[in-house]
Amino acid sequence: MRMIIRRLSLYALTAWVAITVNFLLPRLMPGNPVQTMIGKLTGQVTAAEMNAIQLSFGGSFKQGLFAQYFTYLTQLFHGNFGSSITLGAPVGAILRESVPWTVGLIGVSTIVSFAVGTFAGALLGWTRGSRLDSLIPTATFFQAIPYFFLGTVMLLVFASNLHWFPVLGAYSQNATPGWNWNFVGNVIRYGELPVISIVLSSIAGWMLGMRNMMITMVGEDFVLMAVAKGLPRRKVIMHAARNAILPSIANLSLAIGLVVSGALLVELVFNYPGVGDLLLQAVLNEDYPLIQGIFLVITLTVLCANLIADVVYLALDPRTRTEAAV
Amino acid sequence: MKVLRLPKSPKVLLGLGILGFFILMTIIGPWLAPYNPSATNFAANLTPSAHHWLGTTSLGQDIYSQLLVGARATMVVALLAGLVATILSVTIGVAAGYLGGLSDDGLSLLSNVFLAIPGLPLLIVIDSYLPVNSRSNTFVIGLIISLTGWAWGARVLRAQTMSLRNRDFVEAARIIGEKRHRIMFSEIAPNLLPVLASSFLFTVLYAIGAYVTLAYIGLTSTAVWNWGTMLYWAQANNAPLSNEWYWFVPPGICIALVGTGLALVNFGIDEFINPRLRAGGLTSRQRRKLGLPRRVRLGLTPVLRPAKAPRVSTAPAKLVSQ
Amino acid sequence: MSADTFDIQAVSPMKEGPAERKGNAVANVERSEFVLEVNNFSVDYGVGENMVRAVNDVTLHLRRSKVLGVAGESGSGKSTLVYAMTRLLRAPGVISGGSVTLNFTSRDDEKEFTTLNLVTASEKELRKIRWSHVSIVLQSALSALNPVLRVGREFDEVLKTHRPDMSKAQRRARAVELLTMVGLNDDRLARYPHELSGGQRQRIMIALALALDPDLVIMDEPTTALDVVTQREIISELHDLRSRFGFALIFITHDLSLLVELADEIVVMYAGEIVERAGASELYEAPRHPYTLGLLNSFPPLHGPRRELSGIPGSPPDLSDLPAGCNFYPRCPFAMSRCENEAPALTAIENSDRSVACWLHSSDSSVPVPVELSRTVNPARNPVTTLKERP
Repeated sequence: MRMIIRRLSLYALTAWVAITVNFLLPRLMPGNPVQTMIGKLTGQVTAAEMNAIQLSFGGSFKQGLFAQYFTYLTQLFHGNFGSSITLGAPVGAILRESVPWTVGLIGVSTIVSFAVGTFAGALLGWTRGSRLDSLIPTATFFQAIPYFFLGTVMLLVFASNLHWFPVLGAYSQNATPGWNWNFVGNVIRYGELPVISIVLSSIAGWMLGMRNMMITMVGEDFVLMAVAKGLPRRKVIMHAARNAILPSIANLSLAIGLVVSGALLVELVFNYPGVGDLLLQAVLNEDYPLIQGIFLVITLTVLCANLIADVVYLALDPRTRTEAAV
Repeated sequence: MKVLRLPKSPKVLLGLGILGFFILMTIIGPWLAPYNPSATNFAANLTPSAHHWLGTTSLGQDIYSQLLVGARATMVVALLAGLVATILSVTIGVAAGYLGGLSDDGLSLLSNVFLAIPGLPLLIVIDSYLPVNSRSNTFVIGLIISLTGWAWGARVLRAQTMSLRNRDFVEAARIIGEKRHRIMFSEIAPNLLPVLASSFLFTVLYAIGAYVTLAYIGLTSTAVWNWGTMLYWAQANNAPLSNEWYWFVPPGICIALVGTGLALVNFGIDEFINPRLRAGGLTSRQRRKLGLPRRVRLGLTPVLRPAKAPRVSTAPAKLVSQ
Repeated sequence: MSADTFDIQAVSPMKEGPAERKGNAVANVERSEFVLEVNNFSVDYGVGENMVRAVNDVTLHLRRSKVLGVAGESGSGKSTLVYAMTRLLRAPGVISGGSVTLNFTSRDDEKEFTTLNLVTASEKELRKIRWSHVSIVLQSALSALNPVLRVGREFDEVLKTHRPDMSKAQRRARAVELLTMVGLNDDRLARYPHELSGGQRQRIMIALALALDPDLVIMDEPTTALDVVTQREIISELHDLRSRFGFALIFITHDLSLLVELADEIVVMYAGEIVERAGASELYEAPRHPYTLGLLNSFPPLHGPRRELSGIPGSPPDLSDLPAGCNFYPRCPFAMSRCENEAPALTAIENSDRSVACWLHSSDSSVPVPVELSRTVNPARNPVTTLKERP
């Protein structure tokens, strides 16, 4: 339990750092981009809108730095992420639409990639020296391909040319959003190729990590004991795998960060209505409130996922419960 | 670690070969390029031909030249970012691991925070605030990439330093009275090298991905040619959907190959660090000839067929009784 | 001495023929007095040029319910021998010759005896006899228990695998029973291995080894990692357990003094070969091989008169570069010129149940046997309190 509190406080701290970075960055950059932006917009937006925009940066610039910071924090706690310049709507509302798509895509991809990857890795580690080993260089190659590139290629080959998968979007145009079977089925269908693309790009890491740990485990005494006990082979493998998977779960936190980065781009390629395209447009249009909002939301989501992964790890490794935290 | 043996594993040799090839391309690429990559005076959208090995873009530029020239910026930024990030992670990681106590707590906290914040979104945010003229400066880009990529290496190096610090040989050096910096240099550092090398390679892998991604989104200046920018233009001109594979596939493949090369060399280092991973022993053909099973299975010690005769000893003529 | 793949049977006609892939456990043979018969057993590490012979032509026979001690330095091959015997030796170990026959009672019918050559057995046959008839206690209990599982799970698992008819409650009862026998509270079952002390873990390993009432238990230096007091306790518990369960025991150690009290017979190994075999107290009081003498002089007993300690000069031999003659020649204080070129084989000493591999005891030896190696056993004198005396 103490461990969880420690992790929680770490994540809380990280969140705070992210928020502060968000606040400080525009002010630290040479050329004070925010001022420039405000200057550009003056006269193009109404006073109310200008107010809203300024609020998302921490209020009027006429105040001192700390006062601005305080305003900024207060706004955040009220759920006010500010107002998007280009879209004219509150950032929170915009994000509420797209974040679920991103979370869904990344969540499903990560789970599939982790499950298939560690399973394959366990097999590879156990049956070392067999023909299966040729999977490794293949997976490594796929891992080295940038996410968006693989996505593009897959889109081109499987969707445009072979027509095995639908081309773009999260659901077909004539399907009505809602919790009906048609829609859900549609979502799954349209999601297949993006998920496959992300899974292929990330699976090598899991495979290799698990494989290396399995090989190490096979050399451990307790696995020999399991064999000496006359247990069926399946159970012996489980003994080893149960231990081998621990570092992978510990690394899940790091991996989620990477998957998120890659998935954002895959969304671009497949025209998925998630946060990715939103971010890109915001960057191109210098829509700073939106950029900040997206960054914060992504960071907070990743931190939540990290926390879940940490809890799972604690549940699986009893040694951490008594020892001091690392 | 006294003798530096040349790696025998084919994986590692392949990886080194690939990397060597691309480093060569980085150095002499721009010389080899037949045309100026930015020159738009050719016919547009040409498929590969003798004049243009990879065809031309929608703007009439030679793709092959772009690839060769672009290698330089891509590789240089990746290596530079990797270097800076590794230096950062060594400084912070080793210090945290060796000094312990409050300094360790503080530095670990720093690394953990940076580790938890997802890299690419942070990169995008920082980059988007950069004034446009800075974006063409590859050094600046490399620097901010390294700022987001050092944390993992720091954590690994810290763990390694901590475990080394308590080892007997370090303790022995301390007892003899070796100075602290001497201990760190001659006792701890050599044992850190494999982990360091592995961390460096990973960071370069991350850096090349980050750089290319930034370029693809359009956050780097298009004045500097790199593989990511090529992909940016390809995407912008709808090359994938127009089946102009010769435009966007080559840079992607190059990126993937460099990444694969890095990963393969990393395998070799992994095997060096963890001897259990080494693929020692016989090939499967040799095993079959000796009558051994193809794979060694735990709990089923193989039996040689036909069995070998034991080492013969002679019996003493008779032994005296008690 | 051909290492064929046929079973070695004392009596009864049995089916012959290559038994590689088919089962070769033969049932209903006449009861053998030996639970384990190892004949001309050899084990190598690696094959081809870089091959190293770790165990060379070892023959030993273990009677039911008896204790065999295997003593020797690190690298003498004692662990290799025992792991290879049960086919648990890891790569690159390879069995290069000989046979290992296990004679055991089939569980269902006490009268039915089965014999199995472990060297030629199939995986399925091995799995059947593993733990139910042969169990093993590894040296380090911490690494031998799965760190993420509670101790109770290990018991439950092994009982479930071999006794599928037992219910969960019965399994737990049995586990509690076993723990009580080794002097542990049943709340240990809910613990993880890292939460227990070294002594507790070792006791759990022993309890686990006895879970299925095996015919043979093998212990690989089970007390080496423990303090002397715990060591003593465990050895004494072992003695009680043996009288209770009646299993045969192979006890590997480098500390001969432990074996004196526990073992019936001791074999001393050097460079992969047996150099001396004798009854425990005989060996202790009247060693015949110079190496045995050296070993005895290296360990002070807890009781008895004070004695000057001397080790054995030199270092253990490099198995890839053994001398032409006797393996022990370079370190032997009694070496003769003959020893340099001729290797003595293990030969029985007349009028006794002992064997030794040494030219000193050859009848055509020109050198008289050194005093230290020709002591006689005085049955009346008993300087050391042995556990065997206890009722």
